[in-house]
Parts: sequence; C-alpha cells; structure tokens
Amino acid sequence: MSIPILKQGCVLIACVQAAATDQDLIQLKDELTDKVGQLRSRGVVIDVSTLDVMDSFATRTLRGIAQATKLRGAEVVIVGIQPDIAFAMVQLGLSLDGIATALDLEEGLELVSARMSEDVDNAT
Amino acid sequence: MLEQTPALQLRSLSITDGDIEHRKKTVGLDLDDITRIASIKEIVISRVDEYTDGFFRYLANLSEASALFTRREALEEAKGRKREHLVALVSGVYGRNYVEERIALGILYNKYGLETRVFLGGFHHLMKTIGSDIMLHYRSEPEKAFQIFLSLTKIGFFDISILVDVLVAERQLTIDLQQEAIRELSTPVLQIRERLLILPIIGTIDSQRAKQLTDDLLRAIRANRSKVVVMDITGVGAVDSKVANHLIQTVAAARLMGSSVIVTGLSANVAQALVGLGVDLSKLDTTGDLQAGLEQAEHMLGYRMVRANQALPQLQSA
Repeated sequence: MSIPILKQGCVLIACVQAAATDQDLIQLKDELTDKVGQLRSRGVVIDVSTLDVMDSFATRTLRGIAQATKLRGAEVVIVGIQPDIAFAMVQLGLSLDGIATALDLEEGLELVSARMSEDVDNAT
Repeated sequence: MLEQTPALQLRSLSITDGDIEHRKKTVGLDLDDITRIASIKEIVISRVDEYTDGFFRYLANLSEASALFTRREALEEAKGRKREHLVALVSGVYGRNYVEERIALGILYNKYGLETRVFLGGFHHLMKTIGSDIMLHYRSEPEKAFQIFLSLTKIGFFDISILVDVLVAERQLTIDLQQEAIRELSTPVLQIRERLLILPIIGTIDSQRAKQLTDDLLRAIRANRSKVVVMDITGVGAVDSKVANHLIQTVAAARLMGSSVIVTGLSANVAQALVGLGVDLSKLDTTGDLQAGLEQAEHMLGYRMVRANQALPQLQSA
C-alpha cells in the first residue's frame, strides 16, 4: 500500500501509516522528489505520528528525502515523532541532524509557512 | 509439596515452609535435639518470668536500648512477646507460627531502633542464664547437660538467623522507600509560560534517573505542546562524561519532537569539567544562569518583557 501524498497550497503532506514497509518508504521518496518539481512545492511535511517503529532504514530514507527535495527547492519537516520513538532513536544513535522537526502537523505547517515568508523577506 | 504453600510474607521478608526446613538444616537441628530440649521444658517454663526480666534488665543497662524503655506500652509488648518466645523455645515445635512470631518480634525491635549488637548481647546473656540453670540441674551428668545446651544453642542460632534477616530486610525497605520518594520528588517538569517548560534538575544523575527524566520531559512536551524547554542544572553537583552524555541524549530526543532545549546553570566548575572531558558540546545550547536561559527562551517564543509603567504609553500611542 503506497503512502498518500496530499497537496495543500505549495506544501506537500505525506502521512506515513503504521504498517509502512521499507518498499513503501522508497516509493515515497521517489514520488515526493518527483512531485516537488512537478507541483513547484516549497515545503514537505512528513507525518510519522502513527508510526510505532523507526529503524535505521526509515531514518536513512527520511534523511534521503530531505536532502533530495532540498536540492529541488523544498524544505522537509518531520512531524509527530512519539516520545518513546524519540528516546529509542537517541539511544540507538539515529539522528535527523539538519532536518527540521515539529511536534505535530499543525506546528509543521506553521514552521514551513514561517520559512517561506522568511525567504520572501530575504528576496525583497 | 512444602513449596506449594503460600510464602509467609511480613512486609519485606518472605519465608516459605521450605526455607524454614532449610534454615533448620543449616543450624543442624534434628529430632534428637528436639527430644533433648523437651527434657528441660519444665525447668525453663517454671522460671520463664525470671528469664524475661533478666533479659530486659540486661538491656536496660545498655544505653543503646533506651528508646525501648522510654515507651511503657512498647516495653510491655516486647516483654509479653519475649515470654511467649521462651515458652515456644522449649515447646519442640518450630514451624510456621514460631517463625512468624520471631519476625513480628524482629519488626518490633526494629521499630524502636534496637541495634543488632544490643539484641545479640541480650540474647547471649539469656542463653548463658538458661545454660547455667541446666548445668545446675544436671550436676551429676555434665555431658548430658552440655548436649542439651548445644541443642538449645541451635535453636538460638535459628532464631538469630531469622532476626538478623528481618532487621536487614526492614532497613532495606526503608532505603527503598526513601529512594522512591527522592525519585518522585526530583524530576518535576513545569510549564511557566505557554509552550515553555522548565526542568530543574537537583542531585546526581545516574542512568536510571536520566532515562526517567527524559521520559517525563518527552511526555510533558507532548502534553503541553511546548516549543522550548529550559533545563536548569544548578543543583547538579558533579558532571562527568556520563552525565554530559545523558544531557546530550535528552536534548537530541527533545529536538526530534520539535522542541529546543536550553541548558542553564552551568557553574564555573561544571563548565571547566565539561571542557576538560572533551565532550562534544556543539549540540548543547547553554546559558550561564536560569535568568539568561528564560530570557533567551522568551525571545525564541517571540515574547518581549517590558515593565508595566514603560509599556503603558506605548500602548496608548498605538
């Protein structure tokens, strides 16, 4: 089952469901990098709040998505990492350095819009 | 078979029927001993009050046992129990009830702070008194008297083994309760402004506490939807590489949940220690004191602090 990607203005939202497999994540990476260019998106919010396991593969894929979409002009924000998962990730030495994180979808969207208005400010 | 009966549980110490048999074996108590003890039953029972008084008179002379003697009802209870103990001591039955009463007496002694050495002194005195009475009774057969006394000593050591275990277990229970209380008290996570949490840490941080601390903090971040956390370590006495690592882990975990952490209250000593340890501090956002940390946090959240009398004209002009 592929991961749905929703378009909201110039932001793309992807909700990773609990049962997402490695294959689904790779597919998400392909689709997102594709769509960011197609739809001229400025931001990507990936919601992982229903995910109950975050392993090294998932972390690496998310980092890959962030780097790839950045090259195509969109910032990634990962939202909804659960307390237990955050702690487990730290203990396993998995980090999301250089990638923005936020508490939930609402916060993530706020963060993206703040970044975009910053860019506009800088441009003018 | 014996193991199937439920364990005898008095607060901290649990003893099963199997344990009782094992303890008897440890002191070498067998049927011959019980027969020998039965032969002196009358002698002991006839003088039981004398022995009880003697035991407490001996304790009264020791300054360490004073707490027991300042409370009349406690002393009466202890005397009553000691008397029962002496009767039971020569009864020949050393089962569950006997052990249960020994444990109860141990808890009583512990409650009034009777030190193990004081109890041992008193118990030895008691055995000596009974021993000399046995010797007197079997004057013509010293060998038999000695055998009986040896059997009695075995019971004595059986009692002591239980009592010492009770005292140790009770002390451990107190320590456990206190540790639990300290743990509960020491990690409050407080919200002082909307989306701003403060986490004051006091005392030493070990692995277990660090885990609980991180856990509490992450849950609080979720519950309060906080964006900035000020972690104050003024009360942390020593910081070593392990503690520094714990702090960095907590900060990293909070960041994954979209919250920034500012560490405050690094004293000169702590700062020098951290630098000396060569820990990677690039991920730590630190300020010298709590005030600076709060100011920075407020700035990050977009607050601006102004005095009320300064703010007023501005509002009017706007």
